[in-house]
Amino acid sequence: MRRENISASRARLRRSARGRDAFWLYMIVALVLLFLEMLGPGVPRTIRGYANDLVAPLLIVLDEPIRVAQSGMERLAGVSDIYVENASLRDENDRLRQWREAAQRLLLENERLRDILKVPQREIPPLATARVIGVGGGAFERNVIINAGSGDQVLANLPVVDEEGLVGRTIEVGRMTSRVLLITDFNSRVPVRLERIDEVAVAEGLNEPLLRLRFLAAGVNVRVGDRVVTSGHGGLFPPDLPVAQVASVDNEMILLSPLSSLGSLDFVRVMDYRPLPPELETDSVIEETDREPQQ
Amino acid sequence: MSRNASGIATFGLAGLTPVALTLLLSAFMLLPLGSSVAGYAMPHLAMISCFYWLSSRPMLIPYGACAIIGILLDLWIGVPLGINMAMLLLLRLFVLNQLKHYRGRNRGIHWIVFSVMAFGLFLMSWLLMSVISGTFLDPYTVFFQWLITSFFYAPVAYLLGRVRRWVL
Repeated sequence: MRRENISASRARLRRSARGRDAFWLYMIVALVLLFLEMLGPGVPRTIRGYANDLVAPLLIVLDEPIRVAQSGMERLAGVSDIYVENASLRDENDRLRQWREAAQRLLLENERLRDILKVPQREIPPLATARVIGVGGGAFERNVIINAGSGDQVLANLPVVDEEGLVGRTIEVGRMTSRVLLITDFNSRVPVRLERIDEVAVAEGLNEPLLRLRFLAAGVNVRVGDRVVTSGHGGLFPPDLPVAQVASVDNEMILLSPLSSLGSLDFVRVMDYRPLPPELETDSVIEETDREPQQ
Repeated sequence: MSRNASGIATFGLAGLTPVALTLLLSAFMLLPLGSSVAGYAMPHLAMISCFYWLSSRPMLIPYGACAIIGILLDLWIGVPLGINMAMLLLLRLFVLNQLKHYRGRNRGIHWIVFSVMAFGLFLMSWLLMSVISGTFLDPYTVFFQWLITSFFYAPVAYLLGRVRRWVL
């Protein structure tokens, strides 16, 4: 009996020592990974992108009943004010018809002028339309997972928009999914232009619903409600995409409210915007020139 | 067979339930519920699940499982690799050292112990993230996620308790 007790206690001690060893082994691995993250992106973004592919089918399955329940509740909530909403939609429809006619007239005029002046087209076609299937970042970052990846020709650093404005840009791309860094993320900086006064600045994410406008020239008269669009500087985003509008101006602190529906993202568009670096552009021009005589 | 023998040897395939459920709850943390930008409004379900299972069946979530769940969570959520891994490893160490003090006590005590431990872990993750980012991050979102996680411990633990009685 005593011998059994001694052997049981020895086995317990051995297990405890093994547990301690395992703890320290995994803890050292975690600390090394964190140290690598401090030096830069510790794990290649492609690995992170493909890790999202693993969980994507599960998210799509789990998400479906939630969406059905949410849309059912929205329908129920909408029934009560359907008459008021109908009247306001009729008014809005009348106004939009007038705007559509004006827009069509301006579009034709714009196209004619572009032809005359030989200005290249600035419209950027969508590369893929995707659904938001996951929200990442936890308490520290603002990003979402969409169900379009390299299989849909999505690449890293492509702009992502919804029907209202800029949402963010792709940062990790897997086969079926991509992660989109939202403009509200702490690491997001978008070069922007104030539409009314044509002044450039940078819209900086704060990990909060609002953005902060920085690096604006001194003495510029900014008003609440001013629209902010992308400036196109830096080459990541095309110019003139709606980003936000000025929400408050308080001494040096100018806060912006994003125009896109970041609070209820569903479908988004990944834009096919890949500006060539100047050196590549020059090379390709040279190659084209070289080839021309042979053809 | 010893009570502390490996989970699979004791419970068969049912011994994998805690790890499988924790992984499922980790995937739940990514769902765009309510607001897409309010990722911090989602409770840390993986932490709740790990604490619950370690408090009731410690051997069914070994250190290796904590490390793998943590690293997958880091990859899926998109935060620096190692944050959730370190949090779950420390959670296991804490539970194994303190379990003798609260084992068999009522659910309220478990809830309080969880909330205190979660506060320490969220504080640690905030400090680590601030060091990695090179600036002090706003503590509000972390505090809010701690509050939500603490609040959700009771209902989630209740549901996990139902599963435990049914499966293990």
